[in-house]
Amino acid sequence: MKQLKLTPLMLAAVLAVAPLAASAAEAVKMPADLPKYGQDKPIPVPHISKKTLANGLEVWVLPRQGLPRVDFVLALRGAGYGADAADAPGRAKLLAGLLNEGTAKRDSRAIAEAAQGMGGGVGAGASNDGITLNAYALKSHASDMLRLLAEVARQPSFPEGEVALAKANALQALKVASAQPGFRAEKALSQAIYGEHPYGRSQETAESINAATAEALRAEHARRFRPDRALLVITGQISAAEALKQAQAAFGDWQAQGPAPAEIAAAPTSAAPQRLLLERPGSVQSTVRLGRPGIAATSAEQVPLRLTSTILGSGFSSRVNQNLREEKGYTYGASAGGRSFRVGGAITGGADVRNEVTGAALQEFIKEYRRIGSDLVPADEMEMSKRYVAGTYLLTTQLQGAVAQTLANNWLVGRPAEYLGEYVPLIQKVTAEQVREIGKKYFSPETQSLIVVGDPSAVAEQLKAFGEFKVSR
Amino acid sequence: MRKHSLIALFAGLALSLAAQAADRWQVPVASKKLANGLTVLVSPDHSSPTVGVSVVYHVGMRLEPKNRTGFAHLFEHLMFQGTPNAPKGVFDKVITGGGGNNNGSTRPDFTNYIETAPVSALESILWLEADRMKTLDFNPATLKNQQDVVKEEIRVNVQNQPYGGFMWIDIGGLAFDKWENNHDGYGSFKDLENASLDDVRAFHRDYYGPNNAVLSIAGDITPAKAFALAEKYFAAIPKRPTPAPSNFSEGLNTAERRLVQSDKLAQVPAIAAAWKMPERGSKDQPAMAVLGELLAGGDASRFYQSLVKGRELALNLESLYGLTSIWEYDGPTIFTVFALYKPDSSADALLSAMDEEIAKVVKDGVDEATLKRVKTRLLADWYNGLESFLSRADTLAKLQTLWGDAQVVNKIPGWIEGVKSADVQRAAKTYLTVANRSVIDRKPAAMLAAPAAAADAASSAKP
Repeated sequence: MKQLKLTPLMLAAVLAVAPLAASAAEAVKMPADLPKYGQDKPIPVPHISKKTLANGLEVWVLPRQGLPRVDFVLALRGAGYGADAADAPGRAKLLAGLLNEGTAKRDSRAIAEAAQGMGGGVGAGASNDGITLNAYALKSHASDMLRLLAEVARQPSFPEGEVALAKANALQALKVASAQPGFRAEKALSQAIYGEHPYGRSQETAESINAATAEALRAEHARRFRPDRALLVITGQISAAEALKQAQAAFGDWQAQGPAPAEIAAAPTSAAPQRLLLERPGSVQSTVRLGRPGIAATSAEQVPLRLTSTILGSGFSSRVNQNLREEKGYTYGASAGGRSFRVGGAITGGADVRNEVTGAALQEFIKEYRRIGSDLVPADEMEMSKRYVAGTYLLTTQLQGAVAQTLANNWLVGRPAEYLGEYVPLIQKVTAEQVREIGKKYFSPETQSLIVVGDPSAVAEQLKAFGEFKVSR
Repeated sequence: MRKHSLIALFAGLALSLAAQAADRWQVPVASKKLANGLTVLVSPDHSSPTVGVSVVYHVGMRLEPKNRTGFAHLFEHLMFQGTPNAPKGVFDKVITGGGGNNNGSTRPDFTNYIETAPVSALESILWLEADRMKTLDFNPATLKNQQDVVKEEIRVNVQNQPYGGFMWIDIGGLAFDKWENNHDGYGSFKDLENASLDDVRAFHRDYYGPNNAVLSIAGDITPAKAFALAEKYFAAIPKRPTPAPSNFSEGLNTAERRLVQSDKLAQVPAIAAAWKMPERGSKDQPAMAVLGELLAGGDASRFYQSLVKGRELALNLESLYGLTSIWEYDGPTIFTVFALYKPDSSADALLSAMDEEIAKVVKDGVDEATLKRVKTRLLADWYNGLESFLSRADTLAKLQTLWGDAQVVNKIPGWIEGVKSADVQRAAKTYLTVANRSVIDRKPAAMLAAPAAAADAASSAKP
């Protein structure tokens, strides 16, 4: 068969051939004697005590009466992958990972043992928009843990031996990760979506790991860790007054050094769709991903995008999961939706499917993507999905560590503390027309890059209908 | 009985007792048995207008039919595929529309079905659980669909993954002798494909009766209300006879077992080392919990400090208790340490480093400061696992199923505190022996091929 090179327009014509399936949600008939949902209780809005210390550090406290534990999150804005130099992708990860491997006062082992003795832990991770330190301890050790957190955040020493070990292990870990199809797919997807933007730099390379030095990490720490770009969230069995007092004691004398790093430039809002087949000889499944640029967390379209993502691709009842898993049996799970960060975002979807149905699975994704942008979502499905979002909010806010993490993440991407309580009422106002609009704008199949990690001998033929795939290792 | 008097010998007693009291947490548990044998547990907590619900059936991989490996798990999937009253799709849609989430899992000794949602969905959830306890929609289409889904699950978690779950599937196959304990609970594709609707009917009839189940609810509900709802939706389901379990007990191993596996997807070698554990309810079980935390519980642990840090042999280190946790088994299980190791290291180097740490415990026991630290973390972890209403309900249901008493939830903190250095020493000496150990050395195919090729070349060079 002759290989056709399809322009985006021709591609659209080919893809539109697929008939639209009836929605799974419409097809389901409810049993007569199934009890109706009871009266919903009002959505509780958390009361957060807020204070900004003289050095600019924001402190938010949310006291809780639950298990005997206190949770802390310290978020450093602008300290994440977005701040990594073009030749140092993933540097924020190494930086975050080494914080608890030695401070001016304690070595790695002493830090680990101190945390264990408090019935807790302290660690850090990186994201596009920041580095986040998490710590928790049994109630009676809360103040000790806050001091340890401050020590780890403010006085990491990046000992030469620990840096060398972290680099050696990171190189091996990269080999481990590279054997996983999801990691390879994610890397290709990020590059297709973000191009040269710093958000495309979240995955480390052997070169960037090798180039890291203790001295460079210390300099990056000094540059990225500043109280005027930081938020401390405290939740758990502690009063607001006590928490604010302890925060002042642990962080009050922290001072920023030098000028603050520049804000990250806006991420791309469009990208030329790519077709990539990453070879994985002998693979028994294809790791299929779709993606294109999305929107920033504070975009006016954010709330309708969240609901659209829920309907299309979040949870067991989502359209792609019902279609690809429950109707077709192609996959253990399928998902799709928006990811949003401070200066941009991504629209992504995908599933791991057996080789024989690689093309068919892509076809079903495309069908669902097109349907969400063309047909109004039926009222019962709108209602189900809004209730799902509200319930998820209640279930997440049940967990104090999760609340602290959500507040910190919101702050990193530019959302105020109040967003937590405003989110569900905003979701409830979204209309089916808005969902269709978002669907059309962000899920149109013509704008999606398609990435497949799999065995070319088993799947290349099936991919021909979707355009010319560039095959690489 | 625990003795508090010994602690009085230590300075700082007042402070440490006050701290311990502040950190204690009592989980309320009310229980009731319905006339049909269903045990109902309720743990009220009104801090969030939500509930967690768990229905645990006392059947798992150990009791699945011998020519149907993977059947208990496949059956778990079929429990979501509808009934004559609530056709396929109803279950997920009702839970989602109720604002909740659902899931299920299969383990050697139990199968659990869990939901969490705003309390306004509780009655709907209970109706759905009762409905599928009564009967299922036994039809070929949903059976075929879930056979496909389960095969994709196995592909994504095992066949297409480097390491392929060898540290939780294959290691059990090596360590145990009896079929009930050593077969792959995910099953062979052949057995999964051979599963018939008659098998599904028989399994539901035999093991999914109310008398073989525990219903547990945690969250924004009173015991009185919850018991009334349980009565309303479940009382009419008749009890059904459950087959007596086979005898799947087996003792500790008396000679070390070793296996080298080739991994075509992995780039870095790994090992899993496993030791058979004390029986559930043994006096050694809390000691083993403390020992496991001491040796392999996180960055402060002795194995981590020795293998990942000091000697720099391993990339990482994790520990597992079979497929469950240290408190959630009711038959032979193992304590497993999994580590990725460096190319210039070896399984023997890792094992001998572990043995050295174990020998130190056997010889010297544990100093008081370390013991206290380890027990504090273990206690905190126990509470953390009970934070969400969902895992609280599920833990209670599992403890009731396995121990016959959900109140064990409040006994475990005291058991942890009661562990002494000598207990830890005894556990190390009894269980963490070379004779009782099973080890899989999992190497990238390329790594194994190189020495083999060299050996071939060497042998063919001989006349």
